[in-house]
Amino acid sequence: MTEKEKIIEDNEFSIDFITSSAINKINLKFLFIYIPILWFSGLIPIIYWYIFTPKLKSLLASLILLPASIFFMTFLFIIGCVFFSKLFLVLINLIHKPKEGIFKAEKGCKDFEFWCLRTQIKKFAIWLLNNSPLPYVDVLAFRWFGVKIDFSSHLIDAWVDIEFINFGRKVMVGQGAVVMSSMIVGKYLIIRQIYLDDYTVVGGQSTVSPGTIIGKDTVLGALSTTTYKQVLESGWLYFGFPARTLKPNKYAEIKPKTIRKIDVDNAIKYDVDFDINIDDEKKDLINNNNNNEEVK
Amino acid sequence: MSVPYSLKVGPFTSNVLVRKRHILFYIAIFWLSILAILIEFWWYWHLMWTNNNPLYFYIFLPLFAFIAYVSLVITSLIISKIFLVVVNVIHKPKEGVFLRYPSDKDYNYWGIRNTIKKWPIWVSHKFPFPFLDNLCFKVFGVKTKFSNSLFEGWVDTEFIEFGKNIVVGQASLIQSSVIVGNLLIIRKTIIEDNVRIGAHSIVMPGTVIGKNCILAAHSLTTVEQNLKSGWIYLGIPAKKYKLNKFFEDNLESKIEESVNLDDVRLKYEELYKKQERIQVNFIERRKIKEEKIKQEKRRTGRVVS
Repeated sequence: MTEKEKIIEDNEFSIDFITSSAINKINLKFLFIYIPILWFSGLIPIIYWYIFTPKLKSLLASLILLPASIFFMTFLFIIGCVFFSKLFLVLINLIHKPKEGIFKAEKGCKDFEFWCLRTQIKKFAIWLLNNSPLPYVDVLAFRWFGVKIDFSSHLIDAWVDIEFINFGRKVMVGQGAVVMSSMIVGKYLIIRQIYLDDYTVVGGQSTVSPGTIIGKDTVLGALSTTTYKQVLESGWLYFGFPARTLKPNKYAEIKPKTIRKIDVDNAIKYDVDFDINIDDEKKDLINNNNNNEEVK
Repeated sequence: MSVPYSLKVGPFTSNVLVRKRHILFYIAIFWLSILAILIEFWWYWHLMWTNNNPLYFYIFLPLFAFIAYVSLVITSLIISKIFLVVVNVIHKPKEGVFLRYPSDKDYNYWGIRNTIKKWPIWVSHKFPFPFLDNLCFKVFGVKTKFSNSLFEGWVDTEFIEFGKNIVVGQASLIQSSVIVGNLLIIRKTIIEDNVRIGAHSIVMPGTVIGKNCILAAHSLTTVEQNLKSGWIYLGIPAKKYKLNKFFEDNLESKIEESVNLDDVRLKYEELYKKQERIQVNFIERRKIKEEKIKQEKRRTGRVVS
């Protein structure tokens, strides 16, 4: 038996590949949850409209204030949506507590069905916030739905699951990245905690699978993936498919604290000639052009 | 949860406008479907509005807006279906390789079909309900079941057959038509039951994915590739990785055991082997270098002294 065959036999049931997190069963019963959320949150801007429009008696003032009031009403609607979906979430979590583990992705399994319900309820509010032009608003929704996150971290243009994720300070998630704490493999649904420590960067278009732990000051490069339960050590640049160490992260050493202070009074002025950043072979081109002008 | 714009998952149809006059279809469907909403609102206004006490009008307004949106989707679907039937009678859609030129009849009508489908699919896709997308597929003649979840990726709306329980991952593409240079290739893609397609993966036209397959994330299939049933595929282009045994029962404890990462790396390196370097003599290497310098000089336009 060769080495490769041995490895394949040993890892028959190990998850060393990545699929996607998606809702398997879609039912019409979700509609009955959405209708009250939409109705109640729609009533809030209507109440605002009902109270404040009769008070403005001149047409010109009401016309000038119309764009501002429309903007205000949309955000009233969004806040209402977040609030009422949170209410439903609290009720559902009282019935069944969310927990991590490996479950069957079938109709009988309680954990799977409640996972579907939770993701569906959160979907609408997060969808509204992601399409809104204001930054940092989706962080507010993340905090509201119970994820530990600061306002210093950015994740506006990425797919991030809203459960079982722990953020540190100043985390950057790149554009088009997929950070998922739940994954569907065959018959099974896998849910595991994800830890993103302080100052980590997840590159664009990369996928982070459930159970990964990313240490302090690490960078996961663009278009790279992590496998199930992978641990990325702190202070390294990772890249590849699956991610492996590329080189130590020296960019992390330059922090705002360590920038040198210079006394302005004692500083000496230098006159420096900057070279233009062009290859040596092409530098002659510039000289040639100058010569031609002189000939003319 | 929601799909951000950088993942570029908008409407399912392609963005090609063959001729600018195809926008006329767009405007007609847009106009007629909004007329239906206006009639509904007029009826609602007559029913509920009173000058003294319009409280009921305001209370039921959000519910009415919800119903109006769904009716907008349905009316636009009906109108575009009528357009589609007429267009398909004039020219029947068929598979093959066509020239990408407006005078080519198949390419022209492919563009018309996509512009007709675009508005209803855009409207249904902007709504957070997943079942509206599946309804669009069914009306336009794609075989799907309501148990599929296709709303997170891009799926073409022609020449596709779906089975049951399919999961399409975030930002993945399933195509039945592709433009390569000067050619338009249309082939039928078939995806059978219980297939899981990972995030960021691409399925090219003409691929057949068998039952119980898993296409892992960040992988790609070539045109007219056959994926055998019951295997896990991975890589660019997709290769066999291992047997898919995750449809068996009682595997919870076996999956739980941790993975040895060094073994995984060995396996992945087989798939992504680097090309072996061509060993050349000292003289050949010098020749190659001289040629490269010549090419560079030709590019910059400098006269050799």
